Formats: sequence, C-alpha cells, structure tokens
Amino acid sequence: MAFLLPHLRSGWAVDQAILTEEERLVVLRFGRDADDTCMSMDETLSSVADKVKNFAVIYCVDIEEVPDFNAMYELYDPCTVMFFFRNKHIMIDLGTGNNNKINWAMDDKQEFVDIVEVVYAGARKGRGLVVSPKDYSTKYRY
Amino acid sequence: MAGRGYAPPTNFGEAPKGYVPGIGRGAAGFMTRSDLGGAVAPAPGQTGLGEGAGSRSALAKFQRENAEKQAEAAAAGGGGDADEDKDFDKFEGADGGLFANAEYDEDDEEADRIYAEIDAHMDSRRRAQREARLKEELEKYRRDNPKITEQFRDLKRKLGDVSYEEWDAIPDIGDYTIKKKKDFAQFAPAPDTLLQRALDEKGVSTQEVDDGALTDLNAVGEGRGTVLGLKLDKLSDSVSGQTVVDPKGYLTDLKSIKISSEAEISDIKKARLLLKSVISTNPKHAPGWIAAARLEELAGKLQAARSFIQKGCDACPKSEDVWIEAARLNTPENAKAILARGVVSLPNSVKIWMQAAKLEAEDDRKRRVLRRALENIPNSVKLWKAVVDLSREDDARVLLSRAVECCPQHVDLWLALARLETYEQARKVLNKARETLPTEPAIWITAAKLEEANGNGAMVGKIVERAVKSLGNHGVSVDREYWLKEAEAAEKNDPPALAVCREIVRVTVGAGVEEEDMKRTWKADAAECEKRGSTHTARAILAHACGVFPAKKGLWVLAAKLEKSVGDSAAMDALLKRAVVHCPRAEVLWLMAAKERWLCGDVPGARDVLEEAFVVNPDSEDIWLAAFKLEFENREPERARVLLAKIREKEGGASERVWMKSAIVEREVGDVAEERRMLAGGLEKFPTAWKMWLMLGQLEEAQGDVDAARTAYTKGCRRCHDAIPLWTAAATLEQRSGFSAKARAILEQARTRNPKNEWLWLAATRQERAADPSGVDPEAIKAADALLSKGLQECPASGALWAEAVKMAPRPQRKAKSVDALKRCDNDPRIIASIANLFWQDRKVDKARSWFNRSCTIDPDIGDHWAAYYRFELQHGGDAAAAAVAKRCREADPKHGELWQRVGKNVKNWHDDAETLLKKCVAEMGAGEA
Repeated sequence: MAFLLPHLRSGWAVDQAILTEEERLVVLRFGRDADDTCMSMDETLSSVADKVKNFAVIYCVDIEEVPDFNAMYELYDPCTVMFFFRNKHIMIDLGTGNNNKINWAMDDKQEFVDIVEVVYAGARKGRGLVVSPKDYSTKYRY
Repeated sequence: MAGRGYAPPTNFGEAPKGYVPGIGRGAAGFMTRSDLGGAVAPAPGQTGLGEGAGSRSALAKFQRENAEKQAEAAAAGGGGDADEDKDFDKFEGADGGLFANAEYDEDDEEADRIYAEIDAHMDSRRRAQREARLKEELEKYRRDNPKITEQFRDLKRKLGDVSYEEWDAIPDIGDYTIKKKKDFAQFAPAPDTLLQRALDEKGVSTQEVDDGALTDLNAVGEGRGTVLGLKLDKLSDSVSGQTVVDPKGYLTDLKSIKISSEAEISDIKKARLLLKSVISTNPKHAPGWIAAARLEELAGKLQAARSFIQKGCDACPKSEDVWIEAARLNTPENAKAILARGVVSLPNSVKIWMQAAKLEAEDDRKRRVLRRALENIPNSVKLWKAVVDLSREDDARVLLSRAVECCPQHVDLWLALARLETYEQARKVLNKARETLPTEPAIWITAAKLEEANGNGAMVGKIVERAVKSLGNHGVSVDREYWLKEAEAAEKNDPPALAVCREIVRVTVGAGVEEEDMKRTWKADAAECEKRGSTHTARAILAHACGVFPAKKGLWVLAAKLEKSVGDSAAMDALLKRAVVHCPRAEVLWLMAAKERWLCGDVPGARDVLEEAFVVNPDSEDIWLAAFKLEFENREPERARVLLAKIREKEGGASERVWMKSAIVEREVGDVAEERRMLAGGLEKFPTAWKMWLMLGQLEEAQGDVDAARTAYTKGCRRCHDAIPLWTAAATLEQRSGFSAKARAILEQARTRNPKNEWLWLAATRQERAADPSGVDPEAIKAADALLSKGLQECPASGALWAEAVKMAPRPQRKAKSVDALKRCDNDPRIIASIANLFWQDRKVDKARSWFNRSCTIDPDIGDHWAAYYRFELQHGGDAAAAAVAKRCREADPKHGELWQRVGKNVKNWHDDAETLLKKCVAEMGAGEA
C-alpha cells in the first residue's frame, strides 16, 4: 500500500518536509516498501491518512534510498514510525522501553489514529513526551 | 504555502551543495540503548545499512567534512595532506579534546612560541653546575660499587699464561657440607617391575650374545658387580668411617637386626631389673626364669637368654616348662641333650617326651623315643596315638591291642584297632570295647557300619535297635540330633553306609518327639537334611514319616519332591505308587505320578495312571484336565475331544476351563464351526470368562468377519471391564480395519475403567505410532510422546512404559532417558533389557552381555529378553555362547513377554518347547527389523 502514500526521496526532502509543515504533525515511516512489516504498517497508514489529514501528514522514507538518518535515528528495524512537530521530535511512552518511535507494524487503525491524536494534542501544548493511550509492553517483544 | 495544503507536499527541490540531512535541520540523534550503541560514536568507516547499531553518525560525518574543508583552506600554507588521522591526538586519542576542532591561528602560534622560549630559558639556568654534579654522583657510585669483573681484572690477566696441564691439575672441590652426612646407602626393596625388567634385559642380552651382535653386555654386568664388590670391600676396610660393613654377613644381618627405640630399651631395662629380683628372691619359681629368658630373647640377646634358662633348669628341674623352654632356646643338637637331662629328672612328663620325639628328624628315632616314653608312661593316650601314627599297619595293630589294654577308656583307640583288624577280629574287638565302654554309641555305630560293609545288612537294624536299648539301659538318653548327625555322617562315609543311615533314622527319629509334633518335626528335619545335601537321610526320615502317617498327602508330596530333586525317577514312581495307594483321594499325587511317567516318555503309563485316578476320583476336574492335556500335548485331538465331551456332559457342569480347553482343541484341529459352538456354549454359562471372549473375537477375526469380532470384543469388554487383553485386542481390531479414532476411543474407555494400567498406556502409545508406520509424521510421534508421558505420570514405576520411552526417544536422548528410567524403577528387567539393547547398538559387547544377563536373571520368565540375549550371542558371542543361553532359557522355560506370547500362542507353535520358541522368536525379531 506504500504507493498510496507520499514518499520522500532524499535527505533534503525529509528535512524540508519536517521543517515546512507548521500546523500539522509529520508522521514519517522509515523502512523498505517491499518489507512485510512495512507493508502491513503501510496498509494502516494509507487507510488512516485521509482521516487524520487535518492534523497530521504521513510520509514514507525508504531507508535504502535515504540512508542519512539510519545512524542518527537508529533505523535498524524493518519498520519505524516517528513523529515530528515543528521540527521537534515528539516522543511517546508506549510502554515498550523505546519512547522514540513505533518500531512494529500496527494493524489496528483506530489505535493508530488515537496515538496520532494524543501526539498532536501533546505537541500542541509543547510537550516533548506524550503517553500512549494503550500500553504496548506485551505487544512488542524484543 | 507548501505546508498549508491538505495534500502532503513532496517536491522540495534539489538539496543545496554540501547539505547534510538531519544536521542541516538542526536535529540531534538519540541513543535508545547504550548496550546496542548509539548514534554519537564517530569512527572511520563507511556508512551502511544495518550498521545502525554501530559506531557512526551523521553528526560525526558532518564534523569530519567540516574539518576537511578547513584543512583544504589551510593547505595553501601548510601543504600538509588533510588526513583523517589529523584528529588523532597522542594523549587524548581520537576524541580530540574540547578544542580539537578549533582553528589554530596566529595568536595560538605566538603563545606557543612564548611558552617554548620560557621553557628553554628555565632550562639554561645553572645547567653547567647541574650536569657536573650529576656526573660526579655517578662516578662516586661506580667507585663504591665496583663490578666483579673489574675486581678480578688483574688476576684474570694472568690466566692467559696457564697451560693445559696446569688446568687439568686444578683439584676438584671436596664435599665440605656441614650437614650430617647420610648413611652410605639407603636400602629399599627393589620393585618387582625393576626386577622383571632386569630379567627381560638379561634375556635380550643373552639372546644378542647368541647372535654375536653385542658380546660384551654380560661382561659389562659382571664388571659392575666387581666394582660394587670392590666398593663394599673398601668400605669395610676403611677404619676412619663410622660404619664398618661386613659384606658377606650384611644382608643376613639386616634381617636379624632388632631396631630398638629409646622407649623400648628403657622398658627392657626396667623389666630386666624386675625379673632379676623375682629370680633372686624365689629361685624355685620356674615362670620367673622363663620370663627372664624370654625378655633377653626379645632384647635380641640369645646368649644371655640361654644362660638364664640354663640356670633355671638347674634351679627347678621338676618343671617341665623350663625344660621345654630351654630346648626351644637352644640349637636342636643342644636341645636333645637338654631334653635328655629333662626326662631323667621328670620321667613321667608326656610333654617333654613328645618334644623330644619331635626334635628327632627320622621316623625310626622318633618311634624309639616314643617307645621309651611309653615304657615310663604306659597310660598316655597321646603317646600311644603318636606312636601308632608313626608305625606301619602291622606294628600299629600290635601297638593298638596293647594300647587298648593300657587305656581301655578311650574309644578312639578301640575304633582304630577295629578298623585295622579283619572282620572277625574287628567284631571281637568291638564287642570287647562295648563291654568296657557300655555308654559309647560310637562303638555301636561302628559295629553297624562294619556289618554293612561286610554285606551283613540284616544285622544292621538289629545292632542299631540293640544299641538304643542297651544305651538306654545304661542311662544314656537318646539324643535325636546326635543320632541324625551320625546318620548323615554314615551317609557321607566312603563307601556310604546307607543301611546304617536308614536304620539309625528308623530307630531314633521318633525318639523323644511328642505325637502331635511328629509330622512337623520330621518335615523340618528332612528339609534341614536336604539343605545340607544328605538326601538319603532326608529320604529315610520321610519314608519313616510316610510309614507312620500314610494318610498324610503332604508328606508324600514332600517325599516325591525330594526324589524328583535327586532325579531318581524310578524311585519316585515307586513312591508315588505307594502314595496313591495310601491316599487315593489326593489329586496332587495322581497328577505327579502321571506327569512323572509322561516326562519319562511313558505316555501309555501316564494314561494308565490317570485312568486309575478316574476310577478313584471320578469327579476331579483336575485329573480330567490332566488327561486332556496329556492327549492334547501328544497330538491326539480326537481322544482329547472325547475326554472333554465327557467332562462337559458330566452332571454338575464343567468349569470355564473345560470349555476353554474344548475351544482350544477345536482351534488346533481347525474346526471353526465346532470352536464357535464351544465358545458360545462356554460363554452362555460363564459370561465373565474374558479369555473365551478373546478367543471368540480372534476366531471371527481370523475368519475375516470383522463385525462379528467387534461384537464379540464389545460384549466381552462390557462384561469384563478389567480384562486388559480384551480391550487391547478390540483396539487393535479397530486400528487394523482403519478406524484409528475408534481404537483411540476404546483405549480411552479402557483407561477410565482401569486407571493406572501400564499396558493400556503402552497399547495407546503404540497405536499412535502404528498410525504412521513410516515414522515420519511428526504429528503421530508427538501424539505418541504425549500419551507416553501421560502414562508415565500415571504409572511412574512402570518398567514397560519406561522401556518404551527409552526405545522411542531420539537416539541422542536415549542415554539420558535410560538413566531416568533406571532411577525411577531400578532393577526392572524390561528397562535393563532395553539398556542392554542400547549397548548392543553402540557395539559395547561386554556391557551389553552383562546387562542382558542381568535382565534374564532378574526375571527369567520373560521370553523376549531371552530371545534378545540369544540373538545378541549369535551375533557377537559365537555358537557356544548362544547354545549356553538357549540351554538356560530352556531351563527357565519362560512364559511371558510380548513377542514370546505372540509366537507361543500361534497355533502352529503350540507344542514347541522353549528352545524352538526361542529360535522362532529370534527369526521373528530379525524379520521385524528387516
């Protein structure tokens, strides 16, 4: 479903996408389009993109095409979703121990929408860290 | 505004040159987990995907590129290469420090120059004085601590003049050690290995001498011996040395050296003082003298000991102990003289005479001494015996006849004389002996033996009776134990005096036993005797008992068993004949008699016996069945049928055994209809006879009528819940006809009816495995494993289940499994056999053999183990070992074991003996494995 989502093809484009969006949350999905995990995540993302278009914008970044952030953002999972608001990385306490990102594929659309909402609301109030509405400590296994 | 539209913008144009993503936006990385590594650890290398956990970051790259740019800018003046290593600092490593990236401008350069100048100036101050002082200190130190080479420099210079002769003439340094020198040698016994090696080497050397290759080896050995001898001589001759060695006596001395510790020496001194006072105060006290002599002997002073005992002999010549001690302490020659003096002063001392005789080396001289002694002491039995022992037969007889006159109270002498005399004379001697010693039973018994040995068997009984009577008259009570012992002794005699034994038992066994105790006592006596191996005595006791209680069948059975164990079938036959005359109603006796005949191969005889038995016991089913078995085993199905028909028709009805046997006969003959009729008839009367249900089911199954077989099994299972074979047979039937689920259900039901039954669990496990004969379906294996572990939970001590578990475990786990199994149920023959199999697979032949042996010994009734053992021996042990196993198997005559029963119950194999079955089982095993 990655083809339904806008892609960012260079590091410059990624930075510009984050910098230029002033009102909405920027949701970046890092990963490879052909990856199974990414595919299922993209399914969710593409189906909610329209729902959240008022307060969030969703992009896909292929980590092979754009390797510039791999070390910086520790992009070694098959699929990683990160949130930015006005050039600020917003962290979410998901209960997994990694507050920086969602590094698994979410298949429940409503859950994802809830998370995006919470992040947006927190970011608007100037929070750098928000708490996820649902605890994913049992969902994600290292 | 790109950011205001709802559609996310994607076209942001080209990136400016040198733009670094992320950093350009001002973002910093993060480190989630320090152990995985973070984003801020710069190190040279290329950027790569999947290396994110590694060591580099965009930040570092950015920094490095910045630095490169600066270096390029600075290269105009410096011309140095902008190397990546330029960040590397000797003291701070690659980190570069706080200001590593700062620019090095002119101000810095000036500052550095000024600092360097200051350093140089400070160094130049008072430099001359400082260096001079250092140099002086060093020289002073060298002067105070000169090197050794320098010390001897002048002397060494002269060494150049020394000639070779002078070098050689320099004496070696002597041994100037202050420590106490050890004794010149330490003696330790040479180890056997050394001696053996020496022997071997010697052998080799002589061999080589024969070859002519190494002629000198022996010479070298001898040369060594001479050198050693010379050394010893030198040592012995040296006056200055502390030890003087007598080379010849040295080794012998070593043995006799008495090493006395300080404490012992002082003890001896004290004892010496004490004994001295004893001797001086009471010189007539012989033990004092002996003790003194012994003390000196102990202290190693033989001479002193001898002089003490000599004085003792003089002081108390009437003590024989002193004389004997004196003889002991002196050399044999002197001892003879001393004893001669001793007998002069004490002519009646047997001890001294015996000692004197002992000192003589030749028999003749000994005899002479003893005769002299007997002249002085004619009534000493000891002397008589000694002289008789030494004499020839004729002399002995004469001597004994004199001896019995001199000491008539000694039975031994009488008996010895009787033994030497001829029959007639012996009788006379014994009669005389009896007159002189009327209370001695041994004389009577000897007389009886004498009569028997001379073919006068009739007299034996009389003699024994008279013995008991006359002994009774003389007030000697008859002791049963003693007499029975005598009887056993008579049996063990050479040649065995059986008549005596029998008569003694007959006359004495009842003596002193209460009427009500008799039977029990006699049984116990017989058992005891049999245990001690005196079968004749036991037989005599039982015969007597049977004579007294002819109607007691227990006694007869005991007697028959005794005969059987002895292996005398004729005697047993005769005995049983008598027995059935006396107890005609005892079926056991009849059956034993018939079986004995049959085992001897006398089938008609056995038939006759059984016929007689019918006459007496017309209602005994056991006898009928025995007759049936006889006919059946001898392949006479017609007769067997007739017999069984008779039993069935008898009033009172036949037992279920009869019905079953009838069906068995029909099965053997192969008459299906008749068999079915029999089984139907039997089941009508005995609906709970599970064996018949099973037979019916098998019959139908063999006929191919699955439905009928199923009905039979179902009915059987309904009536007999606890008949495990029935349940398993039903399940097997279902399994075979392809209804695995049904089979599973049946076994489940069986398990609920019979909880904790290992065989049901085993059957279920096997069934799961059988569902997948190729053994590749993981589902089937998993199911079987699950069942097995459940079964093991329910019956944790089940050897069969554990053995199956060991067999089913994958090869690498078998060992652990077998250890587990052994821990759970030690000494279970099945587990031991399965372990033996494991060893066999690993080619550990010896271990496998011992484990097989163990399993067969623990439970010799399991035929499977015998078969496995036999097969193993055929493969590894050779024919002889295999034959031995087969023989043992035949003796054990196993009846159980899965394979064994399957083979044994095959109609074709019904009449085979154990060994044939064993071979068939082995063939089956081979076929199963192939």
